[in-house]
Amino acid sequence: MRIISIRNIAALMVVTFGIATLFSVFGCKASQKVSGKTGVQLWAENCRRCHNTPSPNTFSHEQWETIGLHMQSRALLTDDERDKIVAFLKQ
Amino acid sequence: MSYTKKLPQALLVLVAIFSFVLNVEAQQKDVDSSVYDRLTELEKQVAQHKPGEEHFLIVGLLTTGFVSNKTTTTSGGTSSSAKTNSFPDVDHFEFSPMFLWRHGQKFLLEFEPSFDGSSLGVNWADVSWFAAPGLIIRGGYLVLPFGTYSKRLAAGWIDKLPTDPAGVADIPGADFGVEIEGGLPLGNMKWNYDVSLTNGMQLLPDGELQNVGSIDNNRNKTLTGRIGFLPFSNSSLEIGLSGLYGTAGDDNTSFKTAKTTMYAVDVNYVQLFNPIAVNFKGQFDDVHVNEQTYVDTANNSYTFNNNSTTYFAQLSLRPSGIANAFKNVELAFRVGNYTTPNGSLWGNKSDYVEGCLSYWLSWRTVFKCGVQSNTTTSTAPVDKGTKTKSNSLFLQFSIQL
Repeated sequence: MRIISIRNIAALMVVTFGIATLFSVFGCKASQKVSGKTGVQLWAENCRRCHNTPSPNTFSHEQWETIGLHMQSRALLTDDERDKIVAFLKQ
Repeated sequence: MSYTKKLPQALLVLVAIFSFVLNVEAQQKDVDSSVYDRLTELEKQVAQHKPGEEHFLIVGLLTTGFVSNKTTTTSGGTSSSAKTNSFPDVDHFEFSPMFLWRHGQKFLLEFEPSFDGSSLGVNWADVSWFAAPGLIIRGGYLVLPFGTYSKRLAAGWIDKLPTDPAGVADIPGADFGVEIEGGLPLGNMKWNYDVSLTNGMQLLPDGELQNVGSIDNNRNKTLTGRIGFLPFSNSSLEIGLSGLYGTAGDDNTSFKTAKTTMYAVDVNYVQLFNPIAVNFKGQFDDVHVNEQTYVDTANNSYTFNNNSTTYFAQLSLRPSGIANAFKNVELAFRVGNYTTPNGSLWGNKSDYVEGCLSYWLSWRTVFKCGVQSNTTTSTAPVDKGTKTKSNSLFLQFSIQL
């Protein structure tokens, strides 16, 4: 039966092994280079993955807090990225 | 001079000083009272406008435009053509206000109704709990984590071209269920996960799949998941792998053993090579339903390999690093294919190429002028080999509200 074919099991094993290897090598935390990034850097790098970078003037402080949660769930940003980007947009 | 002579003068001076102090205090009291009243009034006004823990926001989008189309159908050596044009482009008109309620920093409710020109639907209606760093738990009617197009790129003001890639945006779409997701650091890299458990899809008599809705057609749930990996520290590249597995057949019918398996691979690369911003996106989907026996309109049994594939690859270029009006111009291209099962009543092989010139009026407002050429060859038993060639011109305006 195709649903549990050797190909599917092999693909699952490769993905699982790959993830396990990445975790064991790099750990589940940001490097100093990444954690030292500013809000404006993260805004420029992450927003444009899907759309143009938004102007900070577009929304109020409270609105940016709400947009920040919505965008974190869409782009799957880390919590640190969301906090820094929202702090920059609220300036 | 004796002290008795000076005493009245001294008393007079003291009375004068005392009167002066009393007068000043009285004036000060008047001033304080007026400032106090003003402050009280301001406090009342501020109390009415204090943000509180809850926040409500309406955003959303509008996409409208014009389409002109010429379709030529060739079957059995004879051809026929038809020309149409329409305001708006009926396949891509959309007015979708999005309602966002935030409760503190932990809960977000999202609701997006959508009017497509003829009917009112709902794109999503869910509640998210930001439970812990890297852990978001969601429930309701949610967009399934399969590929990235439906969840991140489908909005008209985000999409670089005026159309949706054929087959990519429709299946699996949105469904009722629960979902967990999150983004996490990984040294210089990042990764993210997104897993949902939902009612799943329903296999129709002709072998097509549709979302079952709020009442499940069987007792099994469908598992959908995606893992994304961003290998560069500047997040310029993301590679995603998705999978879906679930029972699609109705209980107590001949389809009760029908199961669907889906895979997808998606790629997203965005980088500024000053002054040109390069944006590449692509996705490949594979949809499979295990072997079933179908019944045609004449009540004859038949079967086919129920396997569909679709892909698209698009590249857009924008000179965003220059300092004149040309920085708002973007040129985009897309190629794709959508192949539905050979031998089914809906069997087709469709190839398309598309180009678009856009002008960005703001970061979230765009005017697009696009052309698309689409060639479809039928693989259905009734009109096998029939070829349909379609050329379209799109003028489209889209804005995020």
